[in-house]
Amino acid sequence: MGCSTTPRTEAISASTLLEQPGVLVAKRHHLLVRWSHWLSVPILLGLILSGISIYWSSPIYQHKPDPLTGNFDVAADIGIWICAHVPGLHHYSSPPDWIYNHISLGPGILASALRLHWLCAYLFMLNGVVYLAGLVMGAGWRSLLPRRTDLFDALTMFRYYVGVPFAKLIHHKWPHPRFETKYNALQRTAYFSIAVAGFLSVATGWAIHKPMQLHWLAALFGGFDKARVWHFWLMWLFIFFVVPHVILVFDDGWDTLRGMIVGWSTRVKRSQAIANEQ
Amino acid sequence: MRRNAIHYNRKILLRWGNGSKLENPKLPEAGPADTNPAAPIATESPQALEAIEQQLDASGSPSPSVEPPPRTDEVLPPIAVEPVLVKKHQSLFEEQPLPVIEVAPRVLRYRTRRDFLLFGAGAVATLAGAGFLLPQETLSRLGMRRDMSSPTKEWLLNKALRIDDDVSEALYSRNRMVPTYTKSQITPLKNNYNGATPDPGYISGWNLTLDGLASGLGISLDIRNLTTRFSIHEQITRLVCVEGWSAIAWWAGLRFDDLLRAYPPTSQAGWARVESSVNLDASGDPDPYSMSLDLATARHPQTLLATHFNGQPLTVDHGAPLRLLVPVKLGLKNVKAITRITYSAEEPKDYWAERGYSRYDGI
Repeated sequence: MGCSTTPRTEAISASTLLEQPGVLVAKRHHLLVRWSHWLSVPILLGLILSGISIYWSSPIYQHKPDPLTGNFDVAADIGIWICAHVPGLHHYSSPPDWIYNHISLGPGILASALRLHWLCAYLFMLNGVVYLAGLVMGAGWRSLLPRRTDLFDALTMFRYYVGVPFAKLIHHKWPHPRFETKYNALQRTAYFSIAVAGFLSVATGWAIHKPMQLHWLAALFGGFDKARVWHFWLMWLFIFFVVPHVILVFDDGWDTLRGMIVGWSTRVKRSQAIANEQ
Repeated sequence: MRRNAIHYNRKILLRWGNGSKLENPKLPEAGPADTNPAAPIATESPQALEAIEQQLDASGSPSPSVEPPPRTDEVLPPIAVEPVLVKKHQSLFEEQPLPVIEVAPRVLRYRTRRDFLLFGAGAVATLAGAGFLLPQETLSRLGMRRDMSSPTKEWLLNKALRIDDDVSEALYSRNRMVPTYTKSQITPLKNNYNGATPDPGYISGWNLTLDGLASGLGISLDIRNLTTRFSIHEQITRLVCVEGWSAIAWWAGLRFDDLLRAYPPTSQAGWARVESSVNLDASGDPDPYSMSLDLATARHPQTLLATHFNGQPLTVDHGAPLRLLVPVKLGLKNVKAITRITYSAEEPKDYWAERGYSRYDGI
């Protein structure tokens, strides 16, 4: 199962009295954090897919009707472009509908999409509470707080990630920047931001769901119409987060992925550092 | 256990002491007070782990009742501890080292297997649940021929709608006014008649019928009765459609509350059924439109029976001669061309609720 054992050192074995050799593991993620992490996958997927179905009933981004086609929606423009340029789609029956028909749960199902969206939205809020509880109970919240040095360090990490493929190509040595914290600055920024984005999604969601009773909340985001724009782009933030998140987890290795399932990591850096010193 | 914690704490300090830079070395008090909750104390003591090891086949989970095996040399000479003590207590917001524990490989394998099996089972259950909850239209688009609707699915999704309706109802207050706007903020309001706009022929013989009154009589009022008998209120409010678009419009009309006072409903009545018999469906055939309105919302001071739009009497597009304007509800509750209002104790049928939308629609 890939549980590599850390080399045991003299110092450690002297202070442990277990008969059998043990594996040193660092506790990384609290049970509730892991649960909420994985639950957010289907919940967010449900929210995004039903959300786009809702979006189709009244798209935000519109322009003056095209004199030829009468089309006024940017999503329909993209559909027309795709049908004109992607091989095999030239004869699609209704190019303006291509995006509508292929993204989301489908067009013309506002009632079904709304019901699913509310169900997922309440689950999302509950899941957020579970996540926060896990962060507090596992004391993991400190690792997520932004630091003063994060901006510079995050740029260093970004430079590293961008450089990796090129360095590999030309067989150039490209060392991973060293950091002594649970997450590197770029990770920390991303995880912190995505938690804030989750909170803002809920807040903008309420603002457009109850624009009269919670009109102060809608006003906070610039009014009902602007709150819809916020809500729309926060969805994109989740999508933009997930893609590199998944790629980097696989790049980082089995230990990181397993860590979010079992909670611990066998990468116990500091003890290994001691082992090397001694 | 306490001694154990200290013992472990020391071990971690050893690693930390050598591994990290000693910027501000400070000696903490030795002893149990040292084991503050923020310190990286191993939460699973080796004793418990040994117990697991011994009992793995039997129970598979740590059992605190198991007597730990006797230990002889676990008290470590304090002298060995001191040189490696690090700055211990940091600020509340400062990151703390991850708790490191030592686990027997067998225990680790067992737990890994358990967690992965749980994870797999959860993933399968989630996939099944998601497939179950998808709308029939989506399943059909994906090539599913079979009718996958089930009472459980309807119940669950309707439950989410009802919870949301309950939240809306809890948020409602008769004293909370919706925002009003100035004339310069008015935006165009489209004719959103579902299907076809009715032929204006109905207007000449139009009457508003009231049923379910305390007097037991049915009342019929024409538009002159309504506009002369009641005081007319103006407001510029936002109309929000369930589809997501909205429009700020200038309305005038009588308060629903005033009508309720003038013609009180029966004492048990909690609902109004607001109906338009002139509504047409997409193909132009009669399609009477009625929806439910709770009387608490009907009594809101901004709930109007509107007679004017943009300073002019209502046009057919906007529901001449009388429409409901209830800004605390979605646009679909703002019935155009009302012909009848019926008060009842039971919640009446609702045109859009029957088509899968919520019933309360408070915003």
